[in-house]
Order: sequence, then C-alpha cells, then structure tokens
Amino acid sequence: MLEDLREWIKEEASKCMFCGFCETVCPTIKFGPHRGYGPRGRVNIALYISEGGKYTEEALSSLYSCLLCAACTLKCPANIDIPEIVRASRVLYSEDSLKEAIVVEKKVS
Amino acid sequence: MEKDKIVRDISKLIGKDKVSGDEALLSIYSKDPLGNVGKALAVVFPEESKDVSRVVSYAYKNDIKIYAQGSSTSLAGSSLPKEPGIVISFERMKKVLEVSLVNSYVLVEPGIRIDDLNLELGSKGYMFPVDPASSSVATVGGAINSGAGGMRGAKYGTMRDWVLGLEIVLPDENGTIAFAGCKTLKCRQGYDLVRLIVGSEGTLALVTKAYLKITPLPETVIVALAFFPRLENLMEAVVDIKSQRVQPYILEFLEKRTAEVAAKSIGRSINIDGHMLLAGIDVNREAVDRYVEWIEKLLKEHGGKGIQTARSWQEAEERGLFDIRRSLFVAQSKMAREIYKNVNNAKIMLLIEDIAVPPSRLIEAVKGLKELEKKHGFVTMLGGHVGDGNLHPSIGFNMLDPEETKRAERWFEDLVDLAISLDGTVSSEHGIGITKKEALRRELEARGSLKLLEIMKDIKKVFDPKNILNPGKVV
Repeated sequence: MLEDLREWIKEEASKCMFCGFCETVCPTIKFGPHRGYGPRGRVNIALYISEGGKYTEEALSSLYSCLLCAACTLKCPANIDIPEIVRASRVLYSEDSLKEAIVVEKKVS
Repeated sequence: MEKDKIVRDISKLIGKDKVSGDEALLSIYSKDPLGNVGKALAVVFPEESKDVSRVVSYAYKNDIKIYAQGSSTSLAGSSLPKEPGIVISFERMKKVLEVSLVNSYVLVEPGIRIDDLNLELGSKGYMFPVDPASSSVATVGGAINSGAGGMRGAKYGTMRDWVLGLEIVLPDENGTIAFAGCKTLKCRQGYDLVRLIVGSEGTLALVTKAYLKITPLPETVIVALAFFPRLENLMEAVVDIKSQRVQPYILEFLEKRTAEVAAKSIGRSINIDGHMLLAGIDVNREAVDRYVEWIEKLLKEHGGKGIQTARSWQEAEERGLFDIRRSLFVAQSKMAREIYKNVNNAKIMLLIEDIAVPPSRLIEAVKGLKELEKKHGFVTMLGGHVGDGNLHPSIGFNMLDPEETKRAERWFEDLVDLAISLDGTVSSEHGIGITKKEALRRELEARGSLKLLEIMKDIKKVFDPKNILNPGKVV
C-alpha cells in the first residue's frame, strides 16, 4: 500500500516540466526563503523523497508549508495534481517516521 | 572541496541564512526544464552585490565552479550546474531600485520577474517591452543572460536593445564589482561590453544590477485573429501588412494542427479553418475605427477566415483572442503526453527550438519542417513570431528510449541545417547553453567564420581565466 503511494508520487511528480508557471500563483513562495516554498519545489522534493532521498529539514519545511489551496494546478501545463502529491508525501513521511520509531524502540528495548 | 566545508565557509562570509547544503533543496537547484540533472554542492541566496562579490572571490580562490540562476526556465540548459559547483540563485535580489521617466530607465536587481517589473511600470503608464512567453516566471537577470526576446520582438527587439548599463561581479580574486555601460540612452564607452554580457549566459560575469530602457505603454492596441487555409495566403497577408507602413505590435503564427490542439487544450470550441494569424497594432485612440476596418479588409482579401477583431487589448483579453496563442506550451506538452499515454515508463522530453529565418523565407521553413516530420516520424508542433521570422518547432520524445533519443538528435541536426540553409540562425532568443554548442559551431562554419568561435573562446578566457563561471556552456 505504502509502496503504491510512493510509486504514485514518483509517477505523478515525474511529469513536472520545470516550467515554473505554478510559482506565479502560489501564495507561499513570496514569503518563503527560497523556491522550496513553491509548487515546483514541492513537486521535485516529493520526487526526490519518492526516489529514496532523505526527509531533510528543508524537505519537511517545503512539504508542510503548502496551504493545499490548489491554485498551482490551474497553471500546470502537465496537469499535475500538486496538492495530492503534497498530501501523499505527508502520509508517506508519517508512515516512514512511524516505522523508524518502531525500529528505534525495538533496539532500545 | 567537501560540500559541508563550502557551506560553512560561505556561512561565515555572508551569513548562514543565505546558504544551504540541504540535499533535498539542492535537488531543486540541480535541474532544468530539459530534464538535465546537474550537481549543486551548495545554493547561495545573495541579498546584495557584496554577497555575490564575496562568494565569487571565495570560489575563485578555491577553484569552485559557479552557476547563476534566475528562475531556471532556460530551454538551452544555460543555468544547469553541469559540473559540481555553487549555484547562486538571485531570487532574493528582486527590488525595483529606481524608476526614472525623465531619464527613460528603470534600475532593477536581477531576480525580479519580468511581469512583476511591468506591474510596477504599468502603474506609471510605462513598460519594459521584452516579453518571453515565460515572462510571468522569468527573471530580468535570466532574460539578460539568455538574450531573451518574445512576442513583441519584431517591434521592440530583444534584451540586447533594452539594456543600458550593468553592474557586474567579475570572476577574479576580489570578486570585483564593476559597472559596464551608461545610465544615458546614448553611450560610447569603448568596446560595447554591455551587449557582450547580454546573452553570455552567465559565462563572463554575474549581473547584480541593471539599468533597463523603458518605453510608454501604447495608447491602445487593436487586435485581429484570422485563419488561413493556405500558408502562402497567410504570409501574403503578413507582407501586405508590413508593406503599408505598419509595424505590428505583435504578429503571431500557429500552424493549423497546433492551433487545433491548443484550442482543445483550453476547452475552446472554435472552428480552426487553417493556420492562425494573430496581429496586434498599436494606434492612437482616434484611429481605432480606421485600423480595424483596414485590417479586417486586408485579412479578408487574402482569404482569411473566422476573422475576429478587438478595438483594444483589454477587449481582446476579455474575448479570449490571445488564448490559443498563449496555449502553445500547453499544446506542446499535451500533444507529447497524448502520444506516450500508452507507453509504460516513458520520460517525455520536450524539445522546444527557436530558429529564426528572414520572414520572407518562412514558407520554405514551414515546408522544410513538415518534411522533417515525415523523415524522422515526430509529430511537430509549430508556432512562432512571424513578424521577425522566429519559429518554435517542438517535438516530444521518450528519453528512456535510446533509439528515439538518437532520432530526436538527428531531427535537431536537420533543423539546424534547415535554418542555416535559409539564411537563418539556430537560436534567436533561448540561447546556446549546452544544447546548441555544436549547432553554433556549424552555423559559423557554414558562414566561413569559424575563426569567430576562437575569438569567443578567447573572450571567455579574458573574463574568466580560471573557467569557474558556468563552465561548458556557449563556447
């Protein structure tokens, strides 16, 4: 199930053509310190994680600063479901963290 | 040098909130729209020229490569960190520092997006006229470095025509900050280094401020849209328009099938009766009726069908006359996705080219492109700026299929030959970057001017003796 989700994120995020049109309507990018706070950044960070990348501090800031307003989807020429990618990546993070916590707990005990 | 050390060193130089070595973040700054993936070791977010100077000086002393980025929308691979190095992203340097109507200039930082600049200028009745299709995203710095053009190119030219002066940081031991050019409209400052840096794709110096010429917004613009069953008739209409002492504000062309896909992609049920021509002419308000009647009559006489006219730019916007032309990129990407929808594991790459030929040879160019479509088996989407002969043929192919990738390369080589054979050029507004280096060589060779390539390489060495600025690009 989780692996299906990971695969879906990978497939959907791979459609990104890096045009950046989504950034022109994103309400958060203007207030963030860099492109990671815009839809193009989020999609590509989600892709990075789905391909085995780490949940770094910036990755989490990027994914959790999204308001899920979906304005970006109106501008995306590849019709990527960006809010769904963000939601799915958050689910993945919760599940992966949970698994990690269980492993740590087992080691401790 | 080790990545963490670079980040630590730069943090000390300009502050820790202006540099990051976060791997996830670096993955964003290592990509480009062509699907290329490079290697950013650190990304720096300067907030003033001194920050840039300090980082450049540090990179020079430590032999680290530097890649300037605006919004990374280059279609030639210009901003990709091809070899490991530092990306300097200008996104925080985006202020309009001065608008002077009396001096006809605006002073800006390089990270401002072109549309944002025009919002500011528009409130004063002025504009910056260079309008690449990506102007909502593209930054002024990126446009300077790529030598961008746009729809209004036939009337207003490209970035080369609108930059008065540049503050630059040179790749030397001190990260020297210098000012090339003038604030005045007329300027004879020895060799013209401003126009050398415009279009140099971040290989010679880093632009940290720019004085740009501005121009008043037209009083009004009338707009006409028409479809021509025969390309010859469309071109005759264009020649007729240009022969009557009219220099159109925009003159755009979309090949029939591309127009159909574009219309469909935005849900417009318009009858596409042929190749599309979209003309805009800036006129005085008192002359609107006369020009609307004139252009309607002219388009009809040349066999134009489905003619629609608008008496102002605003009316044209409201009635959606620009919608099909503006959907060219959407159409290009949709067409490519449609073709590969049943192919598992396809990674689609879109090649959007920017050849230009003298407008009098556009018919031959379009016919040549049709032949290339048959020869290589790629569905070609085609639109362009008919006023200046700049065409944007595009194909989509599966990067994961080696045979198809080879075929796409051959299509591109033939496209280059076509442009050269029609007295044209291989790049009119996107730049050379990585993708067109060989094409540039062939163009110069065909003109018996290979010596110029050597001069260009020498110029690069003079500016950047250690080859740290955007290496491997242009020459």
